[in-house]
Amino acid sequence: MSVPVEQKSTEPITLKALNTDNPRWCVGCGDFGILMGLKRFMVDHQIVPDVTVNVSGIGCSGRTPNYINTYGVHAIHGRPITVALGLALARPDLNIFVESGDGDALSIGGNHLIHGVNKNFNCVFLLFDNELYALTKSQTSPTTRKGHPTNTQPSGTYLDPLNPISLVLGMGASFVASTADWIPDHLASTLSAAFKHKGFSFVHISQRCPHYDPDAFDHKTSTWFSFLKHEKGIPPDKRIADKTELIDHDPSNLETAFKYANDSQRYFGLFYQNPNKPRYDEILHGELEKAEKKPRAKILDRFLI
Amino acid sequence: MSVENKKISRFELLMDAGFGAQKAGDILIRAFARMGKYVYIEPMIPAEISPPPRTRPALSGVIIRVADFDITNIGNDTDLILASHEIVLDRRLDDEETNVSCRVLLDMGDKKSNEESYENVCKRLTKLGISTFPFEIDEESRALIQSLSGSGQNMYYLGMLSAIYNMSQEVVEAQIQKEFGKKLNEEVLNKNIKIFRNGYVYARANVFFSFEVAGMPRKTEKILIDGNSSMSMGIIDAGIKLFSGYPITPASSIMHTLAKIFRSYGGIVHQAEDEIAAIGAAIGSYFGGVPAITCTSGPGLSLKQEFIGYAAAAEIPLIVIDAQRSGPSTGMPTKTEQSDLPAALFGNHGDNTKVIVSVANVIDCFYAPQMARYLTEKLRVPVFIMSDFQTANSYKIIDKLKPTEMNNVNEIQDFVLERFHMNRLPDNIEMVRDNQASPGVPGGMRRVTGLNSDRAGQINYFSKTSQRAHEVRNAKIHEVRKALKKPEIFGPEEGKIMVVGWGSSRGVIEEAINNSRAQGIPASGMHFRIVYPLPMMIKDIFSKFKKVVTVELSYGDEHKLPPLAMLLRSETLVDVQPMIAQATGRPLRPRVIMQKIKELIS
Repeated sequence: MSVPVEQKSTEPITLKALNTDNPRWCVGCGDFGILMGLKRFMVDHQIVPDVTVNVSGIGCSGRTPNYINTYGVHAIHGRPITVALGLALARPDLNIFVESGDGDALSIGGNHLIHGVNKNFNCVFLLFDNELYALTKSQTSPTTRKGHPTNTQPSGTYLDPLNPISLVLGMGASFVASTADWIPDHLASTLSAAFKHKGFSFVHISQRCPHYDPDAFDHKTSTWFSFLKHEKGIPPDKRIADKTELIDHDPSNLETAFKYANDSQRYFGLFYQNPNKPRYDEILHGELEKAEKKPRAKILDRFLI
Repeated sequence: MSVENKKISRFELLMDAGFGAQKAGDILIRAFARMGKYVYIEPMIPAEISPPPRTRPALSGVIIRVADFDITNIGNDTDLILASHEIVLDRRLDDEETNVSCRVLLDMGDKKSNEESYENVCKRLTKLGISTFPFEIDEESRALIQSLSGSGQNMYYLGMLSAIYNMSQEVVEAQIQKEFGKKLNEEVLNKNIKIFRNGYVYARANVFFSFEVAGMPRKTEKILIDGNSSMSMGIIDAGIKLFSGYPITPASSIMHTLAKIFRSYGGIVHQAEDEIAAIGAAIGSYFGGVPAITCTSGPGLSLKQEFIGYAAAAEIPLIVIDAQRSGPSTGMPTKTEQSDLPAALFGNHGDNTKVIVSVANVIDCFYAPQMARYLTEKLRVPVFIMSDFQTANSYKIIDKLKPTEMNNVNEIQDFVLERFHMNRLPDNIEMVRDNQASPGVPGGMRRVTGLNSDRAGQINYFSKTSQRAHEVRNAKIHEVRKALKKPEIFGPEEGKIMVVGWGSSRGVIEEAINNSRAQGIPASGMHFRIVYPLPMMIKDIFSKFKKVVTVELSYGDEHKLPPLAMLLRSETLVDVQPMIAQATGRPLRPRVIMQKIKELIS
């Protein structure tokens, strides 16, 4: 049922070709880093913008499709997964990237995250996690750390944060990786691995919000996080690999994936990958493929009396 | 035995849920159809699956109207009721839909253990002047029913009704064979047929009256179809390729039907995790250039509203079917109402720009999806198809319709536009954004957002850009307004009273106006298939009548206007009054409309 398209672009894909008008994020926002990582990945792999769609929700992260020269759907709050799934079912020929924030994906859109992960349809899902609501001006989100004051919990956030990585591992995600906005090489390598994986590739991205929570991530030091590395994994960021701990972790091992996900230390890299999880989109397209084709001219014959 | 010849008759079979009343009704109307009669059947379904037997909520049954001419609605009053026990009968009598000569066949099988209850209901029948014919299922049949673990009772009643309506036993048995032949083993099937025969023989020998409705030999191919099946086939015929829904009564059966067959026509059925996800997927598909549809009822419509407004702003085509049910909130899931009109029309926040197509009958259900597809792809505004429980679930015999096998919306045929009283839209309708390319078009790179956008698709909060975007979106609706022709009118275009309705009320309005005029009562009727926007000339038409009144299945009283009256008043400044604005969950009745017309013009 897909619309026939030309798959090849005649022009080489360059960073410049992917530019649109200037992004309206704050100076120093981690979203610039993520956007650059996404563009670099597209250039590295010559991903054709004509057949690429960025789909997003609402929030600072939601603006991303407006700032990269591909097709784009800047949808409504919490629901980009639903739009992306419709697109994936209708157009299996497209490359689909979903941009969502911690509020968008884990709070208002939590239900869709469960079912996106479970349906395991083919897309790269980028969770921009700045640990608070930013575009609405500093409210507590599901990942805000306990004690951090916000406009809605000014005496300090009451609860411990949700753990998004543990959450999606628990839901049975087929691909779970984590990276950060300030390590562009690692970010691009992560997107590359996520894109190669067929299924719902969940990419958690620690993202700085210098305006509302400059202390959330100490991006100048690297002792508070470690890289997970493995031949089947994602290579550690070259620039800081020697300054931090490198942990051997086989991404097919779900048990140790949970161990690192639940640790107080933060880990970047590939937590888990299962290439064999069934895909909803693939199943439905398979059913379509093998169905006996019937002419529409006779659809009412079954009601003849 | 006396045979009454009737042009038209209405009867009911009332049983406990789960005992096959609808199945018996289904077999009987197919047999009627084979004998050349016209039927209209309305199932009565509890919102629960199987409430405890012998309780009032357990009432489940069918109302069947049979005639020797084409009928458009379920009619007025009932001539005959067959009830399996006194409680379901008592419950149904509350609806006050029996006529003065109504006869009741009451199964007395449960009387021994419920003497007092039976006596009370029989007293009620006497008070109403209804003649009661008590009977009991014979011993042999009772033993057979017991051997079938309690099922088969419906076959006995089917036998009785078949005899009373002078049906050929062979024709009905052939339908039973057809219905159960593949599903039941031979022994069980034969037991069912034996029970049917016993009921038939019993009624022939013991019920002293019968009805004869003449049948006409069929000259054209006929189909028997319900609204939701017709809508499902219409979705296929319209070339829609993705159906995205979430289970909700009474919309669900469209999803069930398509789940079985859609793939053979290149379509995917996606059962989403909730109503919002269902509409989101439809929007995603249409952004990809692939026609999609989502389908819901009452509460689901409320949940979808944010995305409906989004589709209008982002200029992504969107078709939403709303099979209305009784509200507010969960209301009565298996009862009919037309009260979602304001939610459809004004439900999203901010300015609303949308087109509302309604269906009057099963034929409209078949052509509405392509009409909606035409409108939404030409205009890139959300288009509603408003059905209701009554239309969705009622079966009717019609001439076999002609599929149009639409691929591209510009192929829409004139007779379809004509059916919805509309001319073709102009070719180049202005959009807020110049670029409307679908993914895959080289260099197209369309990006959409719910934020205000300028002509180039850039996010923009400037005063003039916002004003222009509103103007452009509303101009699309005005294009429809201008393309709309005079709506369907029954009777002359001037006079004392004009009765107006929309959606499923068409049949009753037509019948009420025809019967009124036959009795010398001057009245006219009007029916809207496209209920928003309204055509330009309705004020002129209204001005030629002393009174303009609405009939609608939505609550109204002396201080509250029901939706259609409110809409017509605001659009025309004519003093449109609601004549019937009921929220009983039951369909409108032609006779009640006639009575009200008489009252109003005397």
